[in-house]
Amino acid sequence: MTDAAPTLRPRGIRLPLPIRLLRLLVLAMVVFWVVFILAPLIVTVGASFTSSESPMFPPVGFSGRWFRQAIEYDWFLRSLTTSLIVASCATLLSVMLGLAAARALARHRFAGAGAFEAAAISPLIIPSVVVGFALFNVALQLGLQDRSMLNLIIGHAVVTVPFTMRSIWTSMASMDTGIEDAAKSLGATPFATFWRVTMPSVAPGIVTGAIIAFTFSFNDVTVAIFLSGTTTRTLAAELMSQMEYLPDASPAAISTIIMGLTLIFFIIIDRTVGLDVFARK
Amino acid sequence: MARRVPWALTAPVGLVMLGLVIVPCLGVVLLSVTPGPNAQPGEAFPTWENYRSIFESRATRQALFRTLEISVWVTLLAIAAGYPLAFFIARQAQFWRSVLLAVVIFPFLLSAVVRAYGWNVVLGERGIINNALVGAGVIGQPLTMIHTEFAIVVGELHLLLPYMVLAILSTLRGIDRNLDAAAQSLGASPPWVFFRVLLPATLPGLLTGTLLVYSLATTAFATPFLLGGTRTPLLTTLLYRHAFVSFDWAKAAAIGGILLILGATFVLLHRWVGRGGLNRLGAEM
Repeated sequence: MTDAAPTLRPRGIRLPLPIRLLRLLVLAMVVFWVVFILAPLIVTVGASFTSSESPMFPPVGFSGRWFRQAIEYDWFLRSLTTSLIVASCATLLSVMLGLAAARALARHRFAGAGAFEAAAISPLIIPSVVVGFALFNVALQLGLQDRSMLNLIIGHAVVTVPFTMRSIWTSMASMDTGIEDAAKSLGATPFATFWRVTMPSVAPGIVTGAIIAFTFSFNDVTVAIFLSGTTTRTLAAELMSQMEYLPDASPAAISTIIMGLTLIFFIIIDRTVGLDVFARK
Repeated sequence: MARRVPWALTAPVGLVMLGLVIVPCLGVVLLSVTPGPNAQPGEAFPTWENYRSIFESRATRQALFRTLEISVWVTLLAIAAGYPLAFFIARQAQFWRSVLLAVVIFPFLLSAVVRAYGWNVVLGERGIINNALVGAGVIGQPLTMIHTEFAIVVGELHLLLPYMVLAILSTLRGIDRNLDAAAQSLGASPPWVFFRVLLPATLPGLLTGTLLVYSLATTAFATPFLLGGTRTPLLTTLLYRHAFVSFDWAKAAAIGGILLILGATFVLLHRWVGRGGLNRLGAEM
């Protein structure tokens, strides 16, 4: 962190006018883009509390009717449950896969490590629509196209492996390998060494990876839309297909609920590992 | 250390990626050269017919050019917006730094559907911009902004701007703040500092961000689906429509093949940049 590093320029000396104007220009641009980033979110939250028929911002009056309406849709609770089950199971699988892959890459040098890494991050390299379509074809070939829950779990586990692997790898790379050898030489079994020595020090990486994987799965639509069935859909995918038939403000209410849940994940990331994980190379 | 392949650790991910991503994607490529349901009787296995027929349709050609054109706009705007944002964030003290970082990262985690819906409310026929402009008497008729290329550019820029900011920020972090203070105290003017010190130092982040934003813009799906509607199809939304509306999987696969080529171009460029390509650029500066 390089916060508030002292500058060498003495205070009190006024900068020349063009420089001050330039700074003002940069500030104006930053304000403009911050408004751009926040506008659709603020408008959605505002519109979800409107008492008018269509989404209005600023909201007309203040009412919770669109939240009540949203909860009454038969698909709302069903798809929310699907989303939570899919995200939990996919995250668990993704962490287990990511842990093994990260361990291999952080602790072993082997022929083909580069190819292995490329394969592990292939879901990031290949366009998501193509991955979604390809996974849909696999399900079709295996005759499993109606097992949507299973397909969604496996699909999301696969596409989140790059995230879990990377964050676990980062925490493994910074770990002192000597303590593992020490534990082994003191007679700990490989399992005990892993569970009591390795795990505690890679736990932050696992937590980070797990939250990112969960959030990704909960919010993804590209892969989810290809693997969802008629009744088993994630909330985001269901919202996407219902949206155009809902001219009222209920999609705004559902969007606000998704935003609220995402905000919880966001705060957990901020409080546990800090937002700087995203600004790292 | 042992050079033996740690099979127990690599096999699970290796097999999963091979079986569920790599081989199925090759399967999509195979499917794209297999005669489709509307094939002529004489067509045999390796055929260019699917590619030829999608390029014969004006709608697909338009979708391809629209995809590339929109991606260029989104990338240019992301650079224009991302650079001042990243630059400004990097120079703030702890509090504002965290606030601005949160502003950039929170939408980054949020579903593309929710964000596209927000833009629908902002840009729609009876959205807030039209209401305000019509209410103020600036325009008589509401502007058509939704389901246009403009709406897709706005939506994708909103979707991808965080990638650009974070990519530039990750290189700015490594720069000692005293570097530009030192340059200034030696008599360098701030613009000189910017062009000769900060810009070259952040060039790797800028290039990574540019490649990332461009490739993600060409392959974005939910945003153009919701903001472009059926009137303004892109490659990805056409793929979806061929797969699930007209059930012409051979054509869907051919579009998938084109998207794979666009994606592969990004990876190759990125490798080239990482491997001295960039150093060469830096040396010329």
